[in-house]
Amino acid sequence: MSAPLAALDAQTIVDAIGLGAVYALMAVGIGLVFGVLRLVNFAYGQLVMVGAYTLAFTSHWPVAAGIAACFAVVVALSIVMDRVLFRPLRGQSPAVMLVATFAVAFMLQAAALLVDIRDGTIGEIAGSIASFNRAIVVGGVEVRKITIAAVIVAAVALGLLALLLARTTIGLHMRAAATDFGTARLLGVRANRVIGLAVVLSGVLAATVAVILTVQNPFVGPDFALRETIVVLVGVVVGGIDRLWTATLGGFAIGFATGVINGVLPTDKSVYLPSAVFALVILVLLVRPAGLFAWGRAAAERV
Amino acid sequence: MRRSLDALVQVLGPAALVVAVGFGATRVGRATEIYFLDALVSVAIVVALYVFIGNSGVLSFGQLSFVAVGAFAAGVTTIPLDSKTNVLPQLVPVLRDHTIGNVPSLLLGAAVGGVFAFLVGMPLMRLSGLAAGIATFAVLEITHNVLREWNKIGPGATTLSLVPETTGPLQATIGALVAIAAAFAYQRSRLGRQLRATREDPAAARGVGVNVHRQRLWSFTLSGALAGFAGGMLVHELGSITIEQVYLELTFLTLAMLVVGGVSSLWGAVVGALAVSGLNSFLIEAEQGVDVGVTLDLPTGTRLIILGGLMALVLILRPSGLTGGREFRLPGRRRLAEAG
Amino acid sequence: MLEVDGLEVRYGAVPAVRNLSLSVAESEIVGLIGPNGAGKSTTLHAITGLTPAYAGDVRLDGRSILGLAPEAIARAGVALVPEGRRIFADFTVEENLRLGLAARRDGDGRGALAEAFELFPVLREFRRRSAGALSGGQQQQLAIGRALVAGPRVLLLDEPSLGLAPTVVDGVFDALVRIRERGVTIVLVEQRAQRTVALADRTEVLANGELRMTLGPKDAGDTARMVAAYLSA
Repeated sequence: MSAPLAALDAQTIVDAIGLGAVYALMAVGIGLVFGVLRLVNFAYGQLVMVGAYTLAFTSHWPVAAGIAACFAVVVALSIVMDRVLFRPLRGQSPAVMLVATFAVAFMLQAAALLVDIRDGTIGEIAGSIASFNRAIVVGGVEVRKITIAAVIVAAVALGLLALLLARTTIGLHMRAAATDFGTARLLGVRANRVIGLAVVLSGVLAATVAVILTVQNPFVGPDFALRETIVVLVGVVVGGIDRLWTATLGGFAIGFATGVINGVLPTDKSVYLPSAVFALVILVLLVRPAGLFAWGRAAAERV
Repeated sequence: MRRSLDALVQVLGPAALVVAVGFGATRVGRATEIYFLDALVSVAIVVALYVFIGNSGVLSFGQLSFVAVGAFAAGVTTIPLDSKTNVLPQLVPVLRDHTIGNVPSLLLGAAVGGVFAFLVGMPLMRLSGLAAGIATFAVLEITHNVLREWNKIGPGATTLSLVPETTGPLQATIGALVAIAAAFAYQRSRLGRQLRATREDPAAARGVGVNVHRQRLWSFTLSGALAGFAGGMLVHELGSITIEQVYLELTFLTLAMLVVGGVSSLWGAVVGALAVSGLNSFLIEAEQGVDVGVTLDLPTGTRLIILGGLMALVLILRPSGLTGGREFRLPGRRRLAEAG
Repeated sequence: MLEVDGLEVRYGAVPAVRNLSLSVAESEIVGLIGPNGAGKSTTLHAITGLTPAYAGDVRLDGRSILGLAPEAIARAGVALVPEGRRIFADFTVEENLRLGLAARRDGDGRGALAEAFELFPVLREFRRRSAGALSGGQQQQLAIGRALVAGPRVLLLDEPSLGLAPTVVDGVFDALVRIRERGVTIVLVEQRAQRTVALADRTEVLANGELRMTLGPKDAGDTARMVAAYLSA
């Protein structure tokens, strides 16, 4: 007799919210670049990976310096990716862009392996910030400090981004570029500025995710965040990649759902968890190809 | 008369290349032979991918699911009976107690791949673009998960071994030729032409009565059958298989082979498969130290970097691929060759 | 002031515009008419950098602007009101107008908006409304206003009367006259030949990618001449 489903308790929900928050941040990073470049960056997870490695290699530095280094390196890499990869690929077919960014993803992973393995083992430890992983107990539920931090950081980051997009001129330009780039340029919107900002913000978000994930799991390997990136990508498309908020919601939803299912399914049944999740994904896409949360003028043609 | 000649040339080009590689496989030592065989099996897989992706213009990440089920089916049913119960104790009786021959196992692989593709394609072929990409990726994930966990029908997470290594130069060459012939026959047929019409302009194609969903389904099914067949070839080449070998890395590799070669032509599929496979093999050798006049000894792990970098470079500089998406034609022929 | 010199635009191997030369002087209203597919929109797209030119040149005040990015051309003082208006339906009227400020060279955004509101009072009335809620005529006014807030030297309009009722078109054309009075040069591409010929200082007829003849306002009543112009393809 297999174990019954565990009751949905507060612990599971809290952990699921934390996971959802992190996935939401990644979703925004992916969605921002897609919005202005119409490009799905398969190598996005590698930005997070590089951030994690930076934290690992600067483990002996003071924490703040290590985090600053992480941000610097990831944003720089994001900018380089745009110059070297995105720019030449602009306007190409989705298949070409997909495979090219896919190729870069594998390339960066292999490069990380090369650097990592010099000391003979795979994996580095990001020790200095692991201390944030301790838990506090709130109302009988063990909440890790980092989960609280993740939710707060995600909320603040998303709030700031929403303000930027809604209230500032450059935000207006970005929104216009994401809606109709050609007309936006016609009106004087500087393509390179808008794309540059999207790329930098995307990098900042990736660095943030790197910090949060490394605290939760200090063991950094070349496939760090690979699984998460794939899941987030799926979540973004399921949510609706065409608008930033539907993409974010999709990322959060798939993170939350994964957390809940993980907590509720008994261990012997949960080997088929990926199948359940992906079957659900297919179902959603069949019913609403433009995304679960997309409505009205479906942008299904766009993609 | 001219058009038939052009068409014949279009298929003879890739075929001749494949035969040359097959012939080369017989001339080299055992250690190097495997690279030639790898190349030929890659051709079969990539041609299978091309049959759907190239003709429909829809990107699918899931075709390796059919390679996987084909490989597993062909492998499980050809393990010698006396070893089977030891190697796969959990197998259901119908699989455990029976064994079939080499060629039947390839046909079984094709059948399983084709049926699976048909069932998956029925709902999925309504999708396009990014939704299709993600949905087919989900199929890959589900297949990987199920095959990994379900040890009643296969090895599960363990390695399936003791499979007869019947894919030598002859089988590999013939297999690749079969794939090429099938792909070519399809793209010249009315079905293939109708599908290609939907690739250029779906609305216009619908306007003249082409049933987009049905045409994609046929193509997807054929692609699945060829992929399953290629899976059978693969498992008989390696003599073993694990589910990880037909998952993400091979998906990336074969997709890249297709796009680098040129996604919209059969010639592109074959050229891409051979070129990238050849490079991959060379780099594997180079990582262990190879003599090309000077000794080249690459550090471990540079292979994927170089491969990935080179592929990205080709796509940046020549997005239509090495062949420009055109079919093979003899030099000096002025006419722009198109498939079908 | 705006000079198009031997412009040729190709789609693939097919020339859509051939050897087109056109000179527009300051504060002129120049009309460009012709049958469907004649290349009128293509010409405007080439001038504003949306479409690459195969040969020829486009000069603003003697300086070549061919090959510049669309946003650079916009900032140089060439504004396009595109075919179909292409307003951002999900943004408010005010946001649409503020977008137009992207090409403005001096920073006087507020003054520019005030001018636009003066010209098209309905825009002030609906400034906080979603642009998609506006009627066709109002959206046309928004599209023109949006182009104007950039403070352009030259205003190009691509079939502004498309889909609009005659009285609404009257309003639009009246606005063009007032815009010209503010010193803006206008190039008006239209299908409604008669009104364009009547309004413009001169009207060029484009057919099959080539300029065929020039009409003046006095030709507006001459149906035979108009028909001949169109059929001279």
